[in-house]
Amino acid sequence: MSAENNNEYGIYLDNNATTRIAPEVVEAMLPYFKEYYGNASSQHGYGVPVEKAIIHAREQVADFIGAEYPDEIIFTSCATESDNTALWSALWSQPQKNRIVTTPVEHPAIMSTCDFLSSRGAEIAYVKIGQDGRIDEEDFKNKLTPNTALCSIMWANNETGNIYPVERLSALCRERGIMFHTDAVQAVAKLPISVKDTGINMLSFSGHKIHAPKGIGVLYVRRGTRFIPFMKGGHQERGRRAGTENVPYIVGLGMACELAKKHLSEINTRVKALRDRLENGIISSIPHCFVTGDKEHRTANTLNVAFKFVEGEAILLMLNEYGIAASSGSACSSDSLEPSHVMRAMQVPFSAAHGTIRFSLSRYTKDEDIDKTLEVLPGIISTLRSMSPYWKEGKPVITGLDHEFDADSKEVRA
Amino acid sequence: MWDYSDKVKDHFLHPRNARVIEDANAVGDVGSIICGDALRLMLKIDPTTEVIEDAAFQTYGCGSAIASSSALTEMLKGKSLKEAEKITNQEIVDYLGGLPPEKMHCSVMGREALDAAIANYHGKSYENSHDDGELVCHCFGVGINKIKKAVWENHLTTVEEVTNYTKAGGGCGSCRMRIEEIIDEVWVDLEKCGVPRPGHVPTPIPSLNVAAAPAGFNSITPVSSIKKDEMSKPEDSPVYNEVMAVLSEVNSGLSEGSSITLKSLKGAHLEVVFAGSIKDGMMKEMTLGFLKQKLTAATGREFTVTVI
Repeated sequence: MSAENNNEYGIYLDNNATTRIAPEVVEAMLPYFKEYYGNASSQHGYGVPVEKAIIHAREQVADFIGAEYPDEIIFTSCATESDNTALWSALWSQPQKNRIVTTPVEHPAIMSTCDFLSSRGAEIAYVKIGQDGRIDEEDFKNKLTPNTALCSIMWANNETGNIYPVERLSALCRERGIMFHTDAVQAVAKLPISVKDTGINMLSFSGHKIHAPKGIGVLYVRRGTRFIPFMKGGHQERGRRAGTENVPYIVGLGMACELAKKHLSEINTRVKALRDRLENGIISSIPHCFVTGDKEHRTANTLNVAFKFVEGEAILLMLNEYGIAASSGSACSSDSLEPSHVMRAMQVPFSAAHGTIRFSLSRYTKDEDIDKTLEVLPGIISTLRSMSPYWKEGKPVITGLDHEFDADSKEVRA
Repeated sequence: MWDYSDKVKDHFLHPRNARVIEDANAVGDVGSIICGDALRLMLKIDPTTEVIEDAAFQTYGCGSAIASSSALTEMLKGKSLKEAEKITNQEIVDYLGGLPPEKMHCSVMGREALDAAIANYHGKSYENSHDDGELVCHCFGVGINKIKKAVWENHLTTVEEVTNYTKAGGGCGSCRMRIEEIIDEVWVDLEKCGVPRPGHVPTPIPSLNVAAAPAGFNSITPVSSIKKDEMSKPEDSPVYNEVMAVLSEVNSGLSEGSSITLKSLKGAHLEVVFAGSIKDGMMKEMTLGFLKQKLTAATGREFTVTVI
């Protein structure tokens, strides 16, 4: 592997997948692997510093998302666990209601759980989504029936970066006495969040998207929200999430939240400028590509571009040769043979969906990273296009062909 | 990130023959942008010698689709049309040093493009020159004949493998039951040809008498082509050595005083003499079953064994 491919010098533009662990976070965690290995529940001296560390981390997290009380924070193993807990708890704690309102662009942690709950008798309603991924708010209001147990709407989308108006939507739910949950994995550390000023009852996020390690997540549960734990057992987390606390990771998450709060303005100024420079550079230097999603309401670090006539996995492989890491919504880059469900929900034609590339930046992204990407990307796209039977510009045409490849097919398979 | 072989990476990053042959006289178009990959194979064939003088491609698709196309053009150059017709998708895979299971359909697409180009050379359109048969997978437009061919040539046993090779079943998944039935149908025929179905208790077909070929056989020699006198001596059988090795192995495991001797070996039929405690009863049945199993394992064929 070349030096460019090395993590130290690589260009990592896949921060919506996972992030580099901040060195400060690693430093903060280390003592809890070595010296402070006690159990927070213990009554002896080993437990005391550990318990204090958890209390401190809980305050850091509460402060980060603007929760009114630290005890509204429950530490979980990941955002998927938080999402599962929220959906199950809403149904279990309100047995007279069986409806969940959500969107077709949610993360699989919500989508698959809803599919399962639906097969067990719950009623799932999907709110309409426009071609730019925006939610149809009139349709949303109409879907709020008296038997709705929960609305679960993501705060920001992982693929397009689209921001959903959860403050407004949660207020509508509060008026109607409906519980509201939001998957905020892609929103925290990118948007200023003050959960106490909204109608949100539950909020999920995970550590590894904000420069903490994998394996730690948070579920915020507003005081007064009916709640039944998903994990049953000991009395940890005030009886709301059993299982011995993952102390080093909780400490790491606390530190990551504190850092994220400090760097929030940087994301929306310096990083946003880098993202905009990348976007403008791509659009101006590469013909036949377009940005997917809602350009006015996007997280500042995310850019999703569809390149016509080329396939996403091939682009990723070539970028990888230059040590640049991004991701694709194409079918070939995943285990599935279909393009991503988000692109399909937004009715992006399959012909473009196969060529979507997501660049997601972080506070560690440097000017040079964007320079390098803009330097190599036009060449990659034109190399791949020159190989493509769909690319005809300036190309000789073979005589006597009885077949034409249709690059502009608007077809969307059922 | 897919775990591609160095050869795949090389053919993707440095594709051979990725260009247009303007005076190509055989062009094969397969796939579509909707399905995520498409390939145009262009050949220049000498009409008098029918030798492929030049081969080139244009491909829309992932790394392994481009690499498979590049490999195919390299394999085709200099071959006669007759030789080219025999290329299988597995040979493309072997040329590339293997493909991840999920990417096998890229090699199948290469093989299809070759069929289409040859049909085009003969003045036929690919659609008319081959029969898709019943449409099985509506999401990816895959017909029964393509599935049967993939199962037959590559000895596929699961729906997942069929999806990897043909994409059928990779969309909504509603055709997976039907694919399972098709796999079973093809395996009935494969077993008749003596291919043991992995993980399945082989269906015994006692009336069948197929001349056995050595393990790893490619084609089946019809019984009629074997001369009468060849069949009379067991030594002349192509699997004689394997059978004798199995017999001596089984013999060495038998208790004192018991033995198996070969009387005759005709095609896939074996006549043996049992002596000692295995001559009759439960021991006879057990030894017979064990012997058959060993023979199948050693030769890849299903044998009928008669004790005389």
